[in-house]
Amino acid sequence: MSRHRIVKNLDLDDEMDDQAFDSEGEDYDDMTEEQQVQMSSALTAVHSVLGSATPITDREIRSALWDSYFDVDGTVAFLLDELHKKEAAKAKAEAKKLARQTSQPPSARSTRPSTPAGSKPSTSTAKAVPKATPLAGPVSSLRADLEGMNLLPSSSSSTASSAAASELMEVPVDNSPPPAIAMAKEKILEEVKERERSEKPVLSLVVVGHVDAGKSTLMGRVLHELGEISDRSVEQNQRQSQKMGKGSFAYAWTFDALEEERERGVTIDISLDTFSTSTKRFTLIDAPGHRDFIPNMISGAAQADTAVLVVDGSSGAFERGFEGGGQTREHAVLVRSLGVQQLVVAVNKLDAVNWSQTRFESIRSQLQPFLTQSGFQPTKVSFIPVGAMSGENLVERRELSLDWYEGRTLVEQLDSLDVPTRALDAPLRIPVSNVFKGQSATASGLAVSGRVESGIVQVGERLCALPGDESGAVRALEVDGELVPYAVAGVNATVFLSGIDPLHLNVGTVLCPPHQPVPVVSSFTAQIMVFDLKYPITAGYAVELFHHSRDIPATISSLDAVLDKTSGAVTKKNPRMLTKGSSARIHVQLRPPTSGASRRTTIPLESFAANKSMGRVLFRRGGETIAAGIVLDVIS
Amino acid sequence: MLLVKQHIERDGSGYVTLRPQEDEDMWHAYNLIQEGDELRGSAVRRVTTESSTGSTSSHRVHLKLTIIVSKVLYSALAQSEQPSSSSSAAASGSTTPTETLTTAPTTGAASSTAGTATLHVSGKVSSENLHVKKGAFHTLDLEVGRDFTIIKQEGEWDSIARERIREVTEPGRGAEVGAIVCGEGLANICVITNHTTIIRQRIDVPTPRKRKGGTTALGADKAHSRFNQQVYAAVLRHFDFEQLKVLIIASPGFTKDAVYQYIMEEAVRTGNKQILQAKSKFLLLHSPSHHVHSLAQILSSPEISSQLKDTKFAQEGIMLDKFFKMLEENPLRAWYGESHVMKAAERGAIGKLLISDEIFRSPSVQRRKQFVKLVEDVKAYGGEVLIFSSMHESGQQLNQLTGIAALLTFPLDIEDVLEEERQEAEEKGVEVTEELS
Ligand SMILES: Nc1nc2c(ncn2[C@@H]2O[C@H](COP(=O)(O)OP(=O)(O)O)[C@@H](O)[C@H]2O)c(=O)[nH]1
Repeated sequence: MSRHRIVKNLDLDDEMDDQAFDSEGEDYDDMTEEQQVQMSSALTAVHSVLGSATPITDREIRSALWDSYFDVDGTVAFLLDELHKKEAAKAKAEAKKLARQTSQPPSARSTRPSTPAGSKPSTSTAKAVPKATPLAGPVSSLRADLEGMNLLPSSSSSTASSAAASELMEVPVDNSPPPAIAMAKEKILEEVKERERSEKPVLSLVVVGHVDAGKSTLMGRVLHELGEISDRSVEQNQRQSQKMGKGSFAYAWTFDALEEERERGVTIDISLDTFSTSTKRFTLIDAPGHRDFIPNMISGAAQADTAVLVVDGSSGAFERGFEGGGQTREHAVLVRSLGVQQLVVAVNKLDAVNWSQTRFESIRSQLQPFLTQSGFQPTKVSFIPVGAMSGENLVERRELSLDWYEGRTLVEQLDSLDVPTRALDAPLRIPVSNVFKGQSATASGLAVSGRVESGIVQVGERLCALPGDESGAVRALEVDGELVPYAVAGVNATVFLSGIDPLHLNVGTVLCPPHQPVPVVSSFTAQIMVFDLKYPITAGYAVELFHHSRDIPATISSLDAVLDKTSGAVTKKNPRMLTKGSSARIHVQLRPPTSGASRRTTIPLESFAANKSMGRVLFRRGGETIAAGIVLDVIS
Repeated sequence: MLLVKQHIERDGSGYVTLRPQEDEDMWHAYNLIQEGDELRGSAVRRVTTESSTGSTSSHRVHLKLTIIVSKVLYSALAQSEQPSSSSSAAASGSTTPTETLTTAPTTGAASSTAGTATLHVSGKVSSENLHVKKGAFHTLDLEVGRDFTIIKQEGEWDSIARERIREVTEPGRGAEVGAIVCGEGLANICVITNHTTIIRQRIDVPTPRKRKGGTTALGADKAHSRFNQQVYAAVLRHFDFEQLKVLIIASPGFTKDAVYQYIMEEAVRTGNKQILQAKSKFLLLHSPSHHVHSLAQILSSPEISSQLKDTKFAQEGIMLDKFFKMLEENPLRAWYGESHVMKAAERGAIGKLLISDEIFRSPSVQRRKQFVKLVEDVKAYGGEVLIFSSMHESGQQLNQLTGIAALLTFPLDIEDVLEEERQEAEEKGVEVTEELS
């Protein structure tokens, strides 16, 4: 089916994730001559990267190439990913076997190159495992992944990391007050897989849309009807908002709790909440719609798997939000470039147009082509007519006036969304989106929160905070208001840390294991899609770089090539400018704090091939998002 | 800057004696003094004499020294980043057994606003002196209020340098503008003059964000008031309201309003007449971000350009904007990069030339002359030339954009022209070395 998709998006993960969702077979016989030529040259290219010793078969390569439109880099990344999953499974089986042979002395064990570290419960120190033969080139990402599961010692990483690793070996983790690590990663993984069968999976959801479309009202209402917020607090908000003469904002106040937000009637920052549907648990991220607070929205959307796009269906309002100056387009494009693939469009305020089906359909027909163009597959987009204020078609249908509508309610639709596969096996990455002093009943002290993008974090573990040389121990973990022994990729966690100076923890810091650090860089290459922009991009263009919750000044230092949007082939080298809608390969350099200062600015960043969720970037300038892309290479 | 004395020969050699009067003049001096020039300025040296009995006595001597410039170091760092003590320039090779020389610490001559810009010029002493031997290394630190003389060789007082002298010694020019570029918990306190933008202070108060359910995090209010207090203190410290023409407070969202409100409330509470009287000088502007680089946009906004039309920074911002606009509308009339711009100039196509002062600070005389000629040529056929200051965000951005750009009077596909020329040359069998920017 991917062949028939109208738009080839720059995201490599389309190809990958689609396979996770639908595994329908394909036949490759109907290749045109041109495609056959492409195939054979791409095949050679992949071979040259993988080397001759690879266990990956030609058939697998061909199939992956076909799926990725002969994208060599994407194919290699995908195949290595697959390979390492297979190997991980194998290694795990071995680990189990090993766990049973408890009488075996450690020295004997250490001779096996693929012995997983920490397979013995309650140990956390890395074991002395002989170095595996060093692998070169792109294969290092495979290696990184293997390390991610403690399958290899971290010798291939930077010198800093090996120093950190050796430190870890000497210093047992329980040198500090926090509790010792309770479980080995493998055990947790098993437990997680076990629980996946019995528990509701977690999906994070960002709510976006033009200012005043009714985002906060809609989610406030949903939470209330699902019993997540009490009648009392709703009534209280109603009373207070009426007192301020802002009665219509009662539901919105569930989220807009900052004094300033209430005064001005605008959502400024993201807020998190949770709710459950019949088969899923949701982390809800209410994002500001106002253009000035898009940086906050980006920080929210970067933590989301899926999105609800709220549009104002009342006369003229949809058009205002969609046409020039409106935020609807930018938001849709933003969430897509941040990795969101499934989108629910809530067409709100239909009460104001008498629940008109014509209006609903007209909005759908205006939005649908744009969304497809922005990289959303039509099958992954749904349109739901709602009335947030009266609660129509959110959890259930009430009004007879929506009798023309046969589809799902908003909540039913959310319940039916797919849960993406989580990178549980990859090294731990938590991009920090908030730093604060904990105040809950369960734990207190210095805390950071953020989504676990990959891997697993557990209490007692030592984590380093990048950029910087600081590390701290996990004193406690909180998910959804409850203390937990560990948290896995996909959930939003609050991490209470000890032994770390709060000065080194900032919004934008990335927490990771000391032996598997994120590369900290000040320049990188990226493949980008250029959005609608006022002026073309030139070499030396001053931009703001957005990566998760980080927002830093950068320069597009050189334009390496314009790429064909479908094939990814170079159409022009060293172009002097990039215009809207083009795809390109560029160099990005972070700007030093002041002109002439020698101190460098750095950012923890990974290539998209190494870690999808750490390899997405956005570029803004003059209050507009001008491009989005994926990191190809980090330059240290 | 005060022009004390000037004597330039027809052949472009000669000297100019100047007296810096403000911080910005350090920047001009930096742009005028080239490697190889002679610089005569005052120096303070501590002379330690050892008597025959072994006791030492030391005293400070003021003297005039002339050096042949080998290194010029300009710095104007934000306060938080300023090194605590300026590195002392060692007087290497000039010590005699009985006389040890150390450079006296510079005592900053008072200027209206505390000086943050410094200029260190070092080189070999070119004239014998009672205390310093010829050929010894010395560093001259230029100071506000102290005269210095630049002596240049034949041809070195080029049109660009002479124009700068003329421009910067014009009395009563320029406007000082204050700017607070801010966002949640972040503020950059800047002083902008005609040629320089100096970030006097950076304020960064980490503010906890909203928590679950939207409640304000513990400590957020405290962080807010700490931020406001710091901004207010910085305003008092860095801005001289009598000098300021305008004080811009710019931010996305509502920070600017909150900051302004706090400043006014504090001024009323503490009875700060200076601020209260300057109320009309405050200008609240929208900024797309809290980063300093947004100044380029802020300063080219209609509100600013209408009030401060003739200021260099406003002109630069507008010109840069014009360039990008042309690139969008008619790409064949907007070119950047040395080779492209040079080619356009050759064809007499340049209507507006954007060029960075950095190019004229090139250590290569050859290169400088090439660009001086470019500027003269463009002017000769009626083109407009704007030399950007690297000390403005707009100049920084031009520097990133190779430092040189041009708007053409007619469309010209320079890439094509270059390609044609290359082919022609190939046909002729001439070897061409491709010159890429
Ligand atoms: N008529 C009508 N008004 C609504 C509806 N939903 C929200 N509103 C109003 O739209 C305004 C903006 O809502 P809010 O939730 O703050 O929008 P946000 O800025 O997108 O979060 C408020 O005055 C709401 O009362 C609806 O279903 N019908």
